[in-house]
Amino acid sequence: MASKQYIDKTRGQSLDKKTLNQMAWRSLFLQGSFNMERMQAAGWLYGILPGLRKIHTNKEDLATSMEHNLEFFNTHPFLVTFVMGIVLALEEQKADTNTIRAVRVAAMGPLGGIGDAIFWLTLVPIAAGIGSGFAIESKSIVGAFFFLAAFNLVQFPVRYWLMHWSYKLGTNAIGELTKHSKAFTRSASLLGVFVVGVLTSNFGGTTLRSVIKVGQSALDIQTGVLDVIVPKFLPLVIVLGLYFLFAKKKWTPIHGIFLLGVVAFVGTALGFFGPKSADYIGKAPLDLFKDGMKIKTDKEAADAKGSTDSKVKAIEEALKKANIKVGE
Amino acid sequence: MQLVILAIITFIAAIDQFSFLESLYQPIVVGPIVGAVLGNFETGIVVGGTIQLMSIGAMPIGGAQPPNVVIWGIMATVFAVKSNLTPEAAAAATIPFALLGQVFVTLIFTFTSPVMNAADKLAAKADTRGIERLNYFTMATLGTLFAVVVVLGAHFGEAFGKDIKNFFDTYQWIKVAFETWGGMLRFVGFAVLLRIMVSKELWVFYFAGFAAATIIDKIGGLGSSALLLLTFIGLAIAVFDFQVATRSGSTKAVEVDEDGI
Repeated sequence: MASKQYIDKTRGQSLDKKTLNQMAWRSLFLQGSFNMERMQAAGWLYGILPGLRKIHTNKEDLATSMEHNLEFFNTHPFLVTFVMGIVLALEEQKADTNTIRAVRVAAMGPLGGIGDAIFWLTLVPIAAGIGSGFAIESKSIVGAFFFLAAFNLVQFPVRYWLMHWSYKLGTNAIGELTKHSKAFTRSASLLGVFVVGVLTSNFGGTTLRSVIKVGQSALDIQTGVLDVIVPKFLPLVIVLGLYFLFAKKKWTPIHGIFLLGVVAFVGTALGFFGPKSADYIGKAPLDLFKDGMKIKTDKEAADAKGSTDSKVKAIEEALKKANIKVGE
Repeated sequence: MQLVILAIITFIAAIDQFSFLESLYQPIVVGPIVGAVLGNFETGIVVGGTIQLMSIGAMPIGGAQPPNVVIWGIMATVFAVKSNLTPEAAAAATIPFALLGQVFVTLIFTFTSPVMNAADKLAAKADTRGIERLNYFTMATLGTLFAVVVVLGAHFGEAFGKDIKNFFDTYQWIKVAFETWGGMLRFVGFAVLLRIMVSKELWVFYFAGFAAATIIDKIGGLGSSALLLLTFIGLAIAVFDFQVATRSGSTKAVEVDEDGI
């Protein structure tokens, strides 16, 4: 599908410090409209609007830019200004919209791990741990203030510094890149497509729970069949299926959302989705329909009758047998 | 009056858990405030600190939704002050609320997906004010829903939390179905990105990314650094592609399929 390009190709107004700071402030509301379909997309667009308004004086171009900046977006909320700076440098150059999209997708991916490591795995445990000590042992409000200060004295400098740094970085690098803009767009799209492939596997958690009877032993459809073909089989098939419906059948995303809703509800009612349970070994789909309505996890099923350990063992043994049989 | 102030605190904390300072909502901060409102500042401090310690492991790492600490922190403080419970007992008694909050957040995120449809229409008209209002509106909705749950919870006490938890326990498949649906919705976003970016010659790189991620996923202990490593690999391929295209000096070699990307 060809993307709409900007009509006015003259270089947009450079963004001053004030606008950059304004966007860094707005980046606090990145997850304002968070949802399962496009995650932070609306908050992302909200954040870069001050810059886009300055850059795109042509109203139609502004609409084009807003539309492509509303596509799926998800990155680490505390590091988002890094993506903002680079993307705005490209917008300012009126770069090919395909290039902007590709760079945006490629830049948002890797920040998740870095941000988690800095904020959730290091800063918060330390600050909250020390703060809780003050609160519980000394019954002192100092703990709360310590936590807030420690957290925000890291958060704010990171947000503002990244914003200015990445905007400068993007502006400096672009001159060289626009000389070979077609090659650059292709390479950037390549990276973007690669990252979407990575995300499909990384964020794809959908699995089946069905265990069917094969001769005398049980066969777990997920681990015994799908994972043997390729792990993350279902996420891959769903993405490719949706791509087909969108690209070839002119479906809109809303149709896709409803289709998945039907699949999720019917599939769960039939017992195909949900936690695995020993109770489902050897059951035909029709039996699963009855059981699907009262999904139990292994532990709950075991609590109802007998110990957890024996049930888990039973599953493991059954699965082992099944796998050997399949192998033959 | 207490309930009104409680609702306002919840409203702010609920929004703050995803937007704004993303630190005000933590139990260690909210506990003392709620305690002060209910007339027992000190209990609020201790309960807040207790829940904070308990929830250090429950963080939104890698986009996962942990038990909701906003509802947990507030309800535990309310129960500790009103029912005169120890901090630990209050924390345990309000775990159903935390789990309920977790389901609740998933439901809200699922049901706000159609809002993006409205956002698309605003973008097509270049209505920047509209996008801003939409963002404020969804934040306010989230805050209001949380405030309603907490006010009901504080008013009707434990029984309310248990009733709702019982509903989902009895009709567990409904909860599972919502979770399954929520887990699949991101595929819509991926498919849309693909439709726009991919061309015939780029499909192989989609599968290469998928393969690399799936293989790396099997290596334990990498955790969330996997995405960064994978991007290095993708970047190397992209840079190589760019170098090959620009060095040969032939523009024909880099002619893009206009219909594709």
